[in-house]
Amino acid sequence: MTKNSGPESETGQTLGEPLQIATPFAGHERHAADPDQRVVLRTSQLRDAQVEKDDAERGHTRGLLETEQGSRIIIDNIPGLVALLSPLGEVEVLNHRMLEYFGKTLAEMKRWDESDIIHPADRPHVIEVFAQAIGSGTPLEYEARLKRFDGVHRWFQVRGFPARASAGRVARWCFLLTDIDDLKRAEALLAREKRLLEMVASGCALPTVLEALCSLVEETAANCHCGVYLIDQKNQVFQTSAAPTLPATFNNPIVGRPASPETGPCGMAARLKTQVITADVDTDPLWQASAFRPLALTHGLRSCWSTPIFSQAGEVLGTLAIYQRQAATPTQPQQGLIAQVTHLASIAIERTQAETALRRSEAFLAQAQRLTLTGSLWWNVSTGEITWSDESYRVMGYPKTATPTVALILERVHPEDLSLVQGTIAQSAREGTNIDFEHRLLMPDGSIKWVHVVVQNVTVEMGPAEFVGAVTDITERKRAEAELRRAYDHLTEAQRLSQTGSFTSDLERDEHFWSDEFYRICEFEPGSPISIQRLGEIVHPEDAALYQGAIGRAMAGTDPDFYFRIVTSTGVVKHLRGFAHRIADRAVFVGAVQDVTASKMAQEALNKAGAELAHVSRVTTLSTLTASIAHEINQPLSGMITNAGTCLLALDDIPPDVDGAREIARRMIRDGNRASDVIARLRALFSKKEFTLEPLDLNEATREVIALSANDLQRHRAILQSELADDLPIVAGDRIQLQQVILNLLRNAADAMVDVHDRPRELLIRTGHDEGDRLRFTIRDVGVGLPLQRSSSVFDAFFTTKSGGMGIGLFVSRSIIERHQGRLWAESNDTGPGATFSFSIPRYVQDRPDSSAATTAGGDAHVAIDPKGS
Amino acid sequence: MTTRTLVSIVDDDESVRESLPDLVRRLGFAAKAFPSAEAFLASDLVDQTSCLLLDIAMPGMSGPDLQRDLANRQQLMPIIFITASGDPAIRSRLLAKGAAECLFKPLSAKVVLDALNAALGMR
Repeated sequence: MTKNSGPESETGQTLGEPLQIATPFAGHERHAADPDQRVVLRTSQLRDAQVEKDDAERGHTRGLLETEQGSRIIIDNIPGLVALLSPLGEVEVLNHRMLEYFGKTLAEMKRWDESDIIHPADRPHVIEVFAQAIGSGTPLEYEARLKRFDGVHRWFQVRGFPARASAGRVARWCFLLTDIDDLKRAEALLAREKRLLEMVASGCALPTVLEALCSLVEETAANCHCGVYLIDQKNQVFQTSAAPTLPATFNNPIVGRPASPETGPCGMAARLKTQVITADVDTDPLWQASAFRPLALTHGLRSCWSTPIFSQAGEVLGTLAIYQRQAATPTQPQQGLIAQVTHLASIAIERTQAETALRRSEAFLAQAQRLTLTGSLWWNVSTGEITWSDESYRVMGYPKTATPTVALILERVHPEDLSLVQGTIAQSAREGTNIDFEHRLLMPDGSIKWVHVVVQNVTVEMGPAEFVGAVTDITERKRAEAELRRAYDHLTEAQRLSQTGSFTSDLERDEHFWSDEFYRICEFEPGSPISIQRLGEIVHPEDAALYQGAIGRAMAGTDPDFYFRIVTSTGVVKHLRGFAHRIADRAVFVGAVQDVTASKMAQEALNKAGAELAHVSRVTTLSTLTASIAHEINQPLSGMITNAGTCLLALDDIPPDVDGAREIARRMIRDGNRASDVIARLRALFSKKEFTLEPLDLNEATREVIALSANDLQRHRAILQSELADDLPIVAGDRIQLQQVILNLLRNAADAMVDVHDRPRELLIRTGHDEGDRLRFTIRDVGVGLPLQRSSSVFDAFFTTKSGGMGIGLFVSRSIIERHQGRLWAESNDTGPGATFSFSIPRYVQDRPDSSAATTAGGDAHVAIDPKGS
Repeated sequence: MTTRTLVSIVDDDESVRESLPDLVRRLGFAAKAFPSAEAFLASDLVDQTSCLLLDIAMPGMSGPDLQRDLANRQQLMPIIFITASGDPAIRSRLLAKGAAECLFKPLSAKVVLDALNAALGMR
């Protein structure tokens, strides 16, 4: 039997024998889950029909052969198109259905080969086959398009077979025409659907698939245009269109428009999730005001049937629209086609989107692996099969062509870690334990990598032993860790060397973190818990207030500087100085504390040495005044002796001059007091005293010194002038030590003028205000002046121009003035010879902090001065 | 009444100026004290002074300076130096230069009397 090829069925697949389809295309199969299933269902339906038909045929043919009349009746009652032809192929009998179907008379039908019944394209083939069959007496079968009464061509299968008489001679030809048009269409549609689905399965691009879909519709339904419009799910706007036979001017406007009625029938269909049939755009009231109407009409489109395309979850993926150039509503078959195609479109879209999503997530994964230097792996223990991601190959240093195996992995493992890795892998393979460890790799170029390997047992019950894991290149992290450790060790070492400890303290929660050095300083067990109270327990009792004060200041919100002593468990007294800085809006502080005991001791020793030196200097200076001092004392003493002699004379008078004697006695008392005053002053000056700051009148102190030196100045023939300011404020100072300085300067000035003979040896002493709340003392001489080079060298220790001098006078004087927060300096006189020495010290202010205070343990009672900040 | 012999006392030492004039008066002389050589020269008692009790070390014009000055003026009154220094060499030097005497403090009444008598007796 021959079989014409149907329209575009290049696949050549057969569905079994060509059959007449008993019922119109039902379309039940469209609800099957996948296209193949649909095919199977349809095939079985068709097969059932075929079985029925075979039986009917056999019955009909037998009847035909029996009687002419009977056959006539039977023929007419056969629900099919039947024709009886003469042995020479002339039409003799046609049944009613035949005539009705073609809408022709018997006479017209006799001349079928000349009429237009057969589609012109098929006629030549039909005539040829027919002639051959009649001539050879063999049954024939062909397919051709035949024109129905209403002018519509439909595919028919025509079978003709000879009915033979007893001698084998052909008595009659019987022809059976079966309308296979629906079948053909269904075949065609099926074939195209299959092809479409193949396109989807093979990962064809979605636009191509959709355009093929549109073509399918247009070719199946004829005289229509088809478009598929996809909707962006997030924004609910139309994003792309596939409409191969419509111009861009019609398709483009919809892109970006919202999926809602204002856009047009497709928008409405999407929003309402239902088909929207616009039979006539021109007159449909829905679209009178819409922009869609003119758009459609200008493109010659009158009807529009929009059907939503649903995802499996029921969301609208897009719409499928069919347009026609005349007003029309869809027929049942057309609706069937629409349903079929929208289902296909749904499959195609979802599948493609899933493909895209999968590919995107694969790309993300690969990218993520690359960025984190992490590769994934899969290990089937029983087969030894290992699968690596691209990054795994990179980390392990193998090309992608290599086949990963345990042996390959072990080859890369650093020799020192080999037994560990081998053991771990072996244990995992044996017992199914998870792996999580770090080890080194030795790369072919000799470099070393650190990797972190995590492998998890994902074996399903009764399945093969499987592991899934990841390997991360942590070389950088290891390097950073090593550096950090090194830095930390350096810091710890530095802290130890500088005896500085650091801490982080949360005062509200009383939680503290101390560095090792801090523990060491306090002689606490390293790592032992720390609390505010615990530290407070070792604070020196005298400094408890300082400690509490620092805590208080910190809680109140300032960054405290602090100083206090501690007494460790071994009885060692240590001086601690530190600071803290707030690092959060709560009372959390970071700070450092330093053991300054050594420097405090050194400072105290220095202070003590300084005091000693000052004393020595003072004594030395004073001792050079011995002659003066002796003279100073001798004067009143000798006065007393003279007066005593005079007193005796008075008493020896006759009569005794008692009144006179009394007066003389009083004079003697005055003399005695003068002498003892000098002694008292000298005693004070010779005493060794600690530094004491008290308010004092600089002018008064100066006058006392001048008095003490008066005799000495006389002998030096020095003429002293003093200009002491009247309104001089009180100064904060140590009386004895400041007088020492003034005395030192005075003596130096006098000595400087020892070789001056050509001018009066004038000395000028002045006191007065200095800027910045300070007082200034100045002494000016007309002596030899300062050395030309480095005039400040006069203040150096052991600088002296005097043969008997120690040279510490100015050195000590400067340190005394500096102790007073002051400044001592010398200048050559610009008008005339000689030098001017000056010092300036601050005036006395209540509660003035002085960080240079000598805080000695066990020293003389003195005004205690807090370190700054209290 | 007889005018007493005037003894002038020149010394910057306050104690001396307080005690010595009284002693000298009780010894029978008239006495006047001056705080400095300049003050003495500026006074009008130079001619009337019969004897001078003179301190050696004084700011400004010293004792020996005054001695020279008086010599230049042909004022040849006897000069008795007084000094707190205990150096005997000073005495011999001053005597060699024409001083009548040089006394060391403290001054007792007898010592002063003897010196005054000796100086005035020489006239």
